[in-house]
Amino acid sequence: MAQHRTDLRNVRRPIEQANGLPNPHYIDPAVFAEERQAVLFDNWAGLAVTADVPAIGDAVPLSFLGMPLLIVRDRQGEVRVFQNTCRHRGMILVEEPRNIEGAIRCPYHSWCYATDGRLVSTPHVGGPGQNTHSGIDRALLGLVEIRSHIWMDVIFINVSGQAPAFADAHADLLARWAEFDQPLYHGGAESRFQIPVDCNWKLAVENYCESYHLPWVHPGLNSYSRLEDHYHIEEPGRYSGQGTLVYRQLKDEAGQSFPDFAGISDKWDTAAEYITVYPNVLMGVHRDHSFAIILVPESQAHTVEHVHIYYARPDTDPALRERNAKQWREVFDEDVFVVEGMQRGRHAPTFDGGRFSPAMDGPTHLFHDWVAAQIERHRSLPQAAE
Amino acid sequence: MIALERELLAAHAARDLRALVTLYQQAASQANAPERAAFYLTHAHVFALETNHPDAAALRAQLVAQGRESALPAPNPPFR
Repeated sequence: MAQHRTDLRNVRRPIEQANGLPNPHYIDPAVFAEERQAVLFDNWAGLAVTADVPAIGDAVPLSFLGMPLLIVRDRQGEVRVFQNTCRHRGMILVEEPRNIEGAIRCPYHSWCYATDGRLVSTPHVGGPGQNTHSGIDRALLGLVEIRSHIWMDVIFINVSGQAPAFADAHADLLARWAEFDQPLYHGGAESRFQIPVDCNWKLAVENYCESYHLPWVHPGLNSYSRLEDHYHIEEPGRYSGQGTLVYRQLKDEAGQSFPDFAGISDKWDTAAEYITVYPNVLMGVHRDHSFAIILVPESQAHTVEHVHIYYARPDTDPALRERNAKQWREVFDEDVFVVEGMQRGRHAPTFDGGRFSPAMDGPTHLFHDWVAAQIERHRSLPQAAE
Repeated sequence: MIALERELLAAHAARDLRALVTLYQQAASQANAPERAAFYLTHAHVFALETNHPDAAALRAQLVAQGRESALPAPNPPFR
């Protein structure tokens, strides 16, 4: 019987008896590495947004969980994710965000790749002036592509390549928010910001999932959207979050608000929903805007929240967009001391993962249960035995 | 050839990739041995690929005709 670092049996109990994930899931680099594979690589993790590569040939290199990746919009307009590594000597291909006019040329020996990953040139590989060699099968040496799926502008990646198709894995959520499956327009520079937080990425999810904290941490928000106006969103094993029945649109001095998404039902006149797309994407939808927060884990104790706000039309009022972004930033900033405080709290050696409110913490418990299920699945594999 | 080499070095220093396409083609045309010409043609082709230069297809065709390059493969669908 393999010995594992943590015992997850309590996590998976009904909420009335459950404890949260044990401390090592927040502070232990070895458990962070285990979760990297079991939770983030084996599922559909959020990476970035397609608004990062708006034009054909746009390329953005980035590091995700230690992997050098390259997001590219290829010549057919498809957004793709590759390992940012030449198949020859492992050189990093693209150092800075830029537009690829034609091919991606490795700066070392000039092997060239099309923007769809095909290896299209291997200069002098067979000797000076001879660019082919029987030992170099270009069909097998294209850029290593990471499986990806685009939904609501977010680029999700499944690093293992083994997860069910995104549309199957998230079929319920796609159906729930089908009304918002329409063109989204990124609000631009002021609608894109990052919040670095000194906490494990899961704490940001856990806080986002529940409305219990709103009256205490967000008193301004609570002044019009009271705790009792919220409802839990609980889909065991799939997703969780919270909704409100009293969303109020932002208006400018003339009383104008953002235009609504086309054709959405009356339900959304005053409703809004905030859901975590497991594992690491926090999304919100409203009649007139949506947002995505991609949690990029940098270590077990550091995370960067990448926030993007979207609108129904490309021509919304910049001043109103700026106010909306400012308003959301204030709300998200109000959560920072909480997630960082919980991180520090997990260094208490006898903390047992905590006890949930059976009435108020259901969505958060569901996330813990899902994470624990992913880890148990991974530990059940022969190679996971330690 | 010395003047051309100077121009090539200057274009490399300036990272003027489109100029390199032209200059390496000139070098190929002035080379006194087929292997040397192919070497320069290869460089012209690489920088043409990188810059999506209009000469890229013709340069590749020359190299393919000499047995020094293969035809472009068909585009790949994304891995979804």
